Amino acid sequence: MSISDIHSQTGMNTRSIGWPQVAFGVLLASLLLIPLGIDNAFVSHVFITICLFAALSTAWNIVGGFAGQLSLGHAVFYGIGGYAGVILFNLGVTPWIGMFVGAAVAAVVGMVISYPCFRLKGPFYTLASIAFLEVIRVLSLHFKDMTGGATGMMIDLRLGWTWMVFRERWPSLLIVFGMLLVTLAVAWAIRRSRLGFYLVATRERESAARAAGVRTVRVRLVAVAISSALCAMLGTFHAMYLTYIEPAAMFSLAFSIQIAMFALIGGIGTVAGPLLGAALLVPITEWARASLGASALGLHGFVYGIVLIAFVLFMPNGIMGAIRRFARSGGKAAVEPAQTETGPIVAPANAVAAPDPDRPGIGQDILKVENLNKRFGGLHVTRDVNFTLREGEVLGLIGPNGAGKTTLFNMISGFMTPDEGKVSLRGVDGQFHQPTNPADFAALGMGRTFQIVQPFAAMTVEENIMVGAFYRHHDERDAREAARETAWRMGLGPLLNAEARGLTIGGLKRLEVARVMAMQPRVLLLDEVMAGINQTDVRRAIDLMLSIRDTGVSIIAIEHVMQAVMSLSDRVIVLASGEVIAEGRPQDVVRDPHVVEAYLGKEFAHAHA
Amino acid sequence: MTTFLQVLLNGLMLGGLFAIVAIGLTLIFGIVKVVNFAHGEFLMAGMFVTWLITTRLGLHPYASVIIVVPMMFLLGALTQRVLIQPLMSAEDDHVQIFATVGLSTAMINLALLIFGADIANTPNFGLRTPIEIGPVRVLSGQLYIFIAAIILVAALQLFLKNSQTGRAIRAVAQHRVAAELMGVNVPRIYILSFGLGAACVGLAAVLIAPLYPTSSNIGTYFVLTAFVVVVLGGLGSIPGAFFGALVIGLVDSLSGFYIGSDLREAVVFGIFLLILILKPSGLFGKRMTLSHLS
Repeated sequence: MSISDIHSQTGMNTRSIGWPQVAFGVLLASLLLIPLGIDNAFVSHVFITICLFAALSTAWNIVGGFAGQLSLGHAVFYGIGGYAGVILFNLGVTPWIGMFVGAAVAAVVGMVISYPCFRLKGPFYTLASIAFLEVIRVLSLHFKDMTGGATGMMIDLRLGWTWMVFRERWPSLLIVFGMLLVTLAVAWAIRRSRLGFYLVATRERESAARAAGVRTVRVRLVAVAISSALCAMLGTFHAMYLTYIEPAAMFSLAFSIQIAMFALIGGIGTVAGPLLGAALLVPITEWARASLGASALGLHGFVYGIVLIAFVLFMPNGIMGAIRRFARSGGKAAVEPAQTETGPIVAPANAVAAPDPDRPGIGQDILKVENLNKRFGGLHVTRDVNFTLREGEVLGLIGPNGAGKTTLFNMISGFMTPDEGKVSLRGVDGQFHQPTNPADFAALGMGRTFQIVQPFAAMTVEENIMVGAFYRHHDERDAREAARETAWRMGLGPLLNAEARGLTIGGLKRLEVARVMAMQPRVLLLDEVMAGINQTDVRRAIDLMLSIRDTGVSIIAIEHVMQAVMSLSDRVIVLASGEVIAEGRPQDVVRDPHVVEAYLGKEFAHAHA
Repeated sequence: MTTFLQVLLNGLMLGGLFAIVAIGLTLIFGIVKVVNFAHGEFLMAGMFVTWLITTRLGLHPYASVIIVVPMMFLLGALTQRVLIQPLMSAEDDHVQIFATVGLSTAMINLALLIFGADIANTPNFGLRTPIEIGPVRVLSGQLYIFIAAIILVAALQLFLKNSQTGRAIRAVAQHRVAAELMGVNVPRIYILSFGLGAACVGLAAVLIAPLYPTSSNIGTYFVLTAFVVVVLGGLGSIPGAFFGALVIGLVDSLSGFYIGSDLREAVVFGIFLLILILKPSGLFGKRMTLSHLS
């Protein structure tokens, strides 16, 4: 599942209009012009249905595609909109107001039912969404006074624009086409915005997104609210169009599946995909339904099922995926940059051991770690760990495997709560704060990398770095600019448009650093950025870290590559079995008998004593 | 008091029925790690075949087990081979979800095309005879389902624990790659397991057909409850599914009687959501079944 679609494909900076945009515009216009031109009731009905499903599917895609939460219960929101519209209609309130009431109710319901489900993955989120749909359907059958129960509800006969009910088809077509445009515009704006990047980042790697300062729960709640509100408004429209609603039709699982299916067939997670899927499938099935009639009961559903299976097996990225592959093979294949290509790295390569004269001096404390204790069951992972980090300092954190280094990092970046002790970070205001979650740590200027690289696999290198850059820049263009600049600085410039999943391990490690650097952190936690990379890349990484240090960033680096530890660190802390066993200048620490013993065992230490 | 006992017994019998539907689902999930959204449609297919055999050939419905169970095994194996196997390495969950959802949609509507919207009543051959147990009574067919569910659970446990193939299946379930390195033919185990899970639901179909009218959407009705049962019992756990089914059967029966029959589904799904959100490993689940949590 790739996230870039036709808009970002052609490049944001130029804002050029390529053939995909033109084709999409023509398709969109034809949805309105063809039925108006032909002026046949059945044709109009088909196009209204296309617009309705395209819009519903586009709205679904905000949650199902961008946020990656595959809901098969989206009919809940459509149904809420329908019922709100009809109930208010019969009380004499125009659906133009009713649709906003429905949208508000649906947004609240959406957030309430999604909040507890966010920790469910994959099929379990899907199951929960189906269960909610069933509960709401059963409840709507039960509360007959409000919903009319199984017999359904009819709207009173009132015609005209005020009531959104018409004798002819064309006004309905105009309304639903307008709603489709609005929904597409919302989806497009989200996809390009910080929210869109945050949603996709959360979908791809939740922990990495949190490290980049994304409040993952909040962004997903916003997405759910927008998606549900849009679905509810479309539900209100459809109820007026049908003039009759019942729970079985409004809260239907099959209907929910259809909404999701159009997005998959068109291209899940893309802006244009859901429209393409609906425009392709709805006419076929509506025609089959009309021409074959009752003899073909189930035929359209059967076709849907088979088409869905075929797409999953042969074109899992949908029509948009196929278009993109076609576009790519047509032009860009030749300019694939080599992975080993090196870009500029600012730090002077000869500055390794000697302190840089321009380097800002080491300042006051910026991070204080006091009495950190953490137990995993019976295992005491860190024991009374105390240390401080000063501004502009590089602190090396070494220790044998299983010493608790990564656990320590997790506690000082908010990913894990210590059992005892506290972590305080000095903010730009000069005060010490004690944040409790990754987003609050990030807000104070803490950035971290992960020992096991966590790229947003489906995003390009540029988009990966943009997730970090959005932390400082709210506008998409500024973030892109900053990301490009960071990429070139980190030697990733030639790979800007490569998908992260295709990078070598050295490239991924650099990407990990670039993403966090784009956040412009004040304190940087680097977890084994040099492990498993080749000698050339180690040299480059050392230069990179020196250049970062020289901008005044305070760094704690977990590292096993001694060459790097020795040449970079101002000070080294040695952790063994969860305890700090030595602290001091790198040259002194490596000679400390306790340290030698921790790494190599008692006998080795005795033999050399 | 008698009424209460009767409601309780009805709940247990219903539990047996839920159990026999859910066992195949939990088996497939436990081993292949795929949630088969088409499980209910497998049940529906089995019930239609049972109906055809019973009405066309005039045989006792239970006799159709000879055809239905192998047929369902083949259907399951084929599903794994053709549909799931190519998607096993997919990076996104949504591909596998859509695959079985697509299969489910196709099967429901194919049944609608072939058999129409009418319901098909399988002759019950005396399986609806009440049996009196003290002051309460059950239908003979229900009792047979309950007994069959117990036997099926025990047989599967024995097979998985003691046979060479069963050991291989458990190895694959616990760690696919490690099992492969030990020389287990993982794709074959997957095909076998999916077939086995489908065969279980085939048995369920034969036993249920005489008691419930068959229709194209009967699968949806049962499978949603089966999902509840499986999550409650801890995904992948066969005994868990059995006891989870008894719990849900009792809840269904009691809430239907004391709260109102139109709300019992809301109660059952409400419990499902609570379990899913609060204790996703299930009532009896261990930590190892937490694979669906982030």
